[in-house]
Amino acid sequence: MSEFYEGMAEILEIDLIKISSDFELHSGEAAWDSLAIVSTIALADDCFGVMLEGKALAGCRSIADIEKLIIILKKV
Amino acid sequence: MINQSSAVGRNVQVTGAGIAGVVSCLPERRISNAHFEAQFGEAAVKDVVKMIGVENRYWTDENTSTRDLCAKAGQHLLSNLNWLPETVDALIFVSQTPDFRLPATACALQADLGLSSACIAFDINLGCSGYPYALWLGMTMVQTGAAQRVLLAVGDTISKIVDPTDRSTALLFGDAGTVTAIESATGQTAVFVLGTDGSGVSNLIVPKGAFKDYSQVNDPRLSGKAADCLFMDGGEIFNFTLRAVPALVSETIKRSGVSLEKYDAFLFHQANLFMLKHLIKKSKLPFEKTPINIDQFGNTSCASIPLLLTSSLKERLREESMKLAMFGFGVGYSWAGVSLNVGPLKCVEIIKC
Repeated sequence: MSEFYEGMAEILEIDLIKISSDFELHSGEAAWDSLAIVSTIALADDCFGVMLEGKALAGCRSIADIEKLIIILKKV
Repeated sequence: MINQSSAVGRNVQVTGAGIAGVVSCLPERRISNAHFEAQFGEAAVKDVVKMIGVENRYWTDENTSTRDLCAKAGQHLLSNLNWLPETVDALIFVSQTPDFRLPATACALQADLGLSSACIAFDINLGCSGYPYALWLGMTMVQTGAAQRVLLAVGDTISKIVDPTDRSTALLFGDAGTVTAIESATGQTAVFVLGTDGSGVSNLIVPKGAFKDYSQVNDPRLSGKAADCLFMDGGEIFNFTLRAVPALVSETIKRSGVSLEKYDAFLFHQANLFMLKHLIKKSKLPFEKTPINIDQFGNTSCASIPLLLTSSLKERLREESMKLAMFGFGVGYSWAGVSLNVGPLKCVEIIKC
């Protein structure tokens, strides 16, 4: 997950050290907007070869929620 | 003629027609990113620009329409090719920003350009996929003998329908009108792949202004949005391009029977820099053969591919024949790819309106 976390840190403009599964996307510290969603779709494609759906990402509340989506897609 | 379909689209070969010349016409007014700082703030503009990659775009004033840009481009093209207006048999206007809901803008352009009354003229409502579609139709008209000389007027003025307060679209789009001349070309074959997925209708839409009001439908994404302006769901559009574009690229190349390294350039609709880079990488194409000009002109809808011909490839196309593949994709959803030879062209340039 480290490459993914590095990417998420860059997308959210947050120090890498703060990024973990528990990180809240709507905490106000990061901008979880349409630009971030598009970047996350590309990041997951690069890191895991999966395509996250924009709609599903928009509903995520934490990085753990994104990871759950990735795990489901990787199993398919 | 070999016509087949696959999951990616209809595969069509057209023979005996080619591009004779291309002119792009840009409005005079250049809009730099500084223009948006008052509305969105410097930091937000920087964030958006980092993603979309647009540094400048050209916008028309309120009195100038796509038709005006295309009329200027058409006059310049006819005169540089030494084509008398009465020798043009057909004119197709491809745009989402016509002058009126009716009549067809192609009729107005027939008069603007002084074409014969024995001229076929009609409009096609397509956006980002429009240029390969126009080539397919124009070349098919030549192949069937319906026309010997065809003008494809392809352009949009999306600046007129963006909501200036919507940062996901306000900075992205530029205006341009282009005209491409098609005539018979012995021994030439163009290979097309053409497809559609209407399940994406609501993801890139102007909800109101024609004859059905989508803004009345209960779609939470539209709440608080201006109903007569362009709405874009960026995440959905990106998902669509990831599904459609790499497959379109590989199908077009495969159907052409030409190996990847024989191509001189791959021309993508200039959608958004971040998306483009990702799509080029995913399509396994060499970056050095994939020109990008979205930084200079923004996303110009259906005009972006002819704008690449008249900017990035202008010098080479004047001198030599190039093996090109072009890929248009977006609103609809609609997509189209083509593999063909272009050049040497007698006229390939950008003018200002």
